[in-house]
Formats: sequence, C-alpha cells, structure tokens
Amino acid sequence: MSIGPDILVSGRRQIVALSIFLVIQTLGTVFYVGDVIADLREDPASAHFVFEAIVTAALVLGVILGTFALRRTIELLRSQEQALAVARGALSEVIEGQFDAWALTPAERDVGLLALKGLDVAEIAELRGAAQGTVRAQLTRIYSKAGVSGRAQFAAFFVEDLLSGGLKAA
Amino acid sequence: MASPRIQAGTAAETPPTLWDPVVRVTHWGIAASVLLNALLDEGGSVLHVTIGWIVMALLFLRMVWGVLGPVEARFSAFPPNPLAALRHLRQLATGRVRHYPSHNPAGALMAYAFWATLAVVTATGLIMTGGATPMQVAADKAAVASGDWSALIRDGEGASDEDESLGKAAKEVHDVAANLLLILAALHVAGVALESRAMRRNLVAAMLIGKRQR
Ligand code: HEM
Ligand code: HEM
Repeated sequence: MSIGPDILVSGRRQIVALSIFLVIQTLGTVFYVGDVIADLREDPASAHFVFEAIVTAALVLGVILGTFALRRTIELLRSQEQALAVARGALSEVIEGQFDAWALTPAERDVGLLALKGLDVAEIAELRGAAQGTVRAQLTRIYSKAGVSGRAQFAAFFVEDLLSGGLKAA
Repeated sequence: MASPRIQAGTAAETPPTLWDPVVRVTHWGIAASVLLNALLDEGGSVLHVTIGWIVMALLFLRMVWGVLGPVEARFSAFPPNPLAALRHLRQLATGRVRHYPSHNPAGALMAYAFWATLAVVTATGLIMTGGATPMQVAADKAAVASGDWSALIRDGEGASDEDESLGKAAKEVHDVAANLLLILAALHVAGVALESRAMRRNLVAAMLIGKRQR
C-alpha cells in the first residue's frame, strides 16, 4: 500500500545485521587482544608484536566505529519513523482541510478518501454497500468540485502538496 | 543530549517497547553464559574459560554502548541513584509507579550490581588462569593430556607463596561472586515480574522481540 513501512522494515533489518556484526567483531577483538597480551608477556621485544599491536589498534578502532555507525543508523530510523508519523498526520490534515474547502458532503468525503487510498469503483461500492453507479456519480461530483479532470489529477493534487513542502508547517 | 528531537515523541517518558539489538544480545548472551558457568559446566574447563571470555567481550560491548549508544541505552539515562531506587520500591509497594524513559531506578541499580559483580568474576577468573586465553588453556590441556607436563611449568614458574595465596583468594572471591550473581538473578527475575505487573507492560517482551505491531 504505502512505501513507508517497507523502508522501516529494511531499516530494522539493517540494524539487526549491524548489531550481530558488531557483537562478532567485539568477540574477535577481545580474544585477539588477549592473545597479543599473552604473547607480549612471553616475548616483549619480538617484531611480531609490532604487527600485532597495529592489528589490535585497528580492531579496537573498528569496534568504536561500528558502534558509532550503529547508533547513527538507529537514530536515523527513529527520525524516519517520526517523520513518517508526522507526515501521515499532516497529510490527513491537509486532506481534511481541502475537503472542507471543496465543501464535500460526508458521503463524498468517504468516497474521496477511499479513492485516494487507491480503491477502484467496484471496491468502494462494495465497502460502502452502494451501487457502482452511485459511487461513479459521487466521484464525478468530487472531481468537478475539485476542478480536476479525473482520478489521476485528484491524487496528484495532494502529492503536489506533499512534494512542494506544504507539509513542513506541521 | 544528542537527539532530543527524536525523543520528543509520545514515548519520551515511557521505557522502550523494544530495546535495541545490542542491549538485547548482550543481555541474553550474558544471562545464558552466567547460568551455564555457574551451574552447568566445570569450573576451569576450556568451555568454562571460553564462556567466561565471551562474557568479558559482551560486557565490554555493553560498556561502550553505555557511552556511545542511543539515548535510552546510555548510562546517563539510568544513573545509579539508591535514594530514587528506594523511592521507586516504596511506590511499587503502593502499586502506583512512575514511568521512566529507561530502566527504573531500582532496575538500574540491579544492572550496575550485575555489571560490577561480573567484572569481579571475570577479573578473578583471569587471575586464576594467569590471563591465558581459551586457546592457550586448550593447548595446555592437550599438552598435559599427551604427557608433556612442561605446560604446567608455565603456571608453576616462580610460583611464590604470594602467587599461591593470591590464587587462593581469587578462587574464594570467584566462587562467592558467582553465587552472588545467582542471588542477584533471582531477585532480578522477581523484580521484573513485579515491575511488569505494576506498570502493566511486558518488560520481558521489550527485551526479546517486542510486540508485533504490523
Ligand atoms: C543471570 C542472568 C541475568 C543477568 C546477569 C541479567 C542482567 C541484566 C542486566 C545487566 C540488565 C540491564 C540491561 C542493560 O541495560 O543492558 C537486565 C535487564 C533486564 N533483564 Fe536481565 N539478567 C539475567 C536474567 C534475566 C532473566 C532470566 C530475565 C527474564 C525474566 C531477565 C529479564 C530482564 C528484563 C525484562 C530486563 C529489562 C528491565 C527493564 O525494563 O528495565 N533477565 N538484566
Ligand atoms: C560469568 C562468569 C563466570 C561464572 C558465573 C563463573 C562461575 C564459576 C564457579 C561457580 C566456579 C566454581 C566451580 C567449582 O567449584 O567447581 C568457577 C571456577 C573457575 N572459574 Fe569461573 N566463572 C565465570 C567466569 C570465569 C572466567 C572469565 C574465567 C577465566 C578466565 C574463569 C575461570 C575459572 C577457573 C580457572 C575455575 C576453577 C577454580 C578452581 O577450582 O581452582 N571463570 N567459576
């Protein structure tokens, strides 16, 4: 139906994957560092140690960076979730306001909303328990009140509003 | 704080409905490991030391996450405050609890008690094994099993009376702390149950998979 939840689901998956990766990364780092320390105590001067120290530093840095990346992803997802909620609320406010301005009757409002949600005439008729002819007539009246040529323009009317930043005010 | 805007939603004053995966994985990883090491496997075995090292890593990650993680997972979201904890327990007794954006003050104190005890257990474990990694412990055991006793010498190397008594003390402390962990865990589970009832929200679900919303 809408693309929003899909974005959020894939965001959540990404967070879980990053977290699992971070846990494995941390396990590897701790075990490796333990090994380096043990080596160091056996032979502090070995050239081997310099190499191991560099790898250790890289691993520890990797954990810190991984943590940051994960935090950022989590916060990004949260702000998306919130923006989406705001947009939903704001969009429905915009729609309500516009329906008022067009002076739609209560029945026309319902039909208009269902049409915006992408239902076709047959589906709207079934939902409302009305004849298809009635729904078609209602839609025609809605389009003429809105001054649009048909369904596509009707929907585009609100998308336009969304894209032109008309929703920022909320 | 870094992101008040994000917290400004409706959920700002209630605990998360689902904790982030790092909190959840470290929690259940540590919980399972503690139960395994305290009750099931043989102290000092390769498995025991391996699990002990896993606990060390998970604990380390949770500490990093407590500084760098999202707001509600940070230590600053649930500072240790014994007075607030007592107040919260009193409220719990009357059945009317305040809600907090992270752990409640009593739960927070419990978390710090766990972490401190875990640090003691792992530190004393490391002292007893001389800091040997699980790989080394396994190698040493394999060497001894094949009749090469020299692996034992590393342990005994210059083992003064002092080292020996340190090892003994470490063993004592390790044992006591492990038992303390089990006591804390029992209190903890009881606390979670009470708290879930009082707050009318399933705290365990928030630690597992949350409520399925869609
Ligand atoms: C030995 C075993 C356990 C240990 C060491 C342990 C430790 C902890 C710690 C340290 C926290 C704080 C979490 C964080 O912020 O990272 C916590 C929270 C929590 N634990 Fe456990 N835990 C254990 C067993 C259990 C069990 C068996 C349950 C299930 C009933 C459980 C349920 C919870 C819940 C629901 C929370 C979140 C509490 C809240 O919402 O404030 N734990 N635990
Ligand atoms: C979650 C953490 C841990 C718990 C709950 C735990 C628990 C225990 C318990 C209950 C014992 C006594 C077992 C017995 O009497 O047979 C024990 C023994 C032992 N543990 Fe741990 N342990 C933990 C972590 C560690 C770590 C990290 C290490 C080493 C790096 C370690 C090394 C040992 C050793 C060497 C013994 C044998 C002591 C002896 O009998 O001389 N443990 N542990």
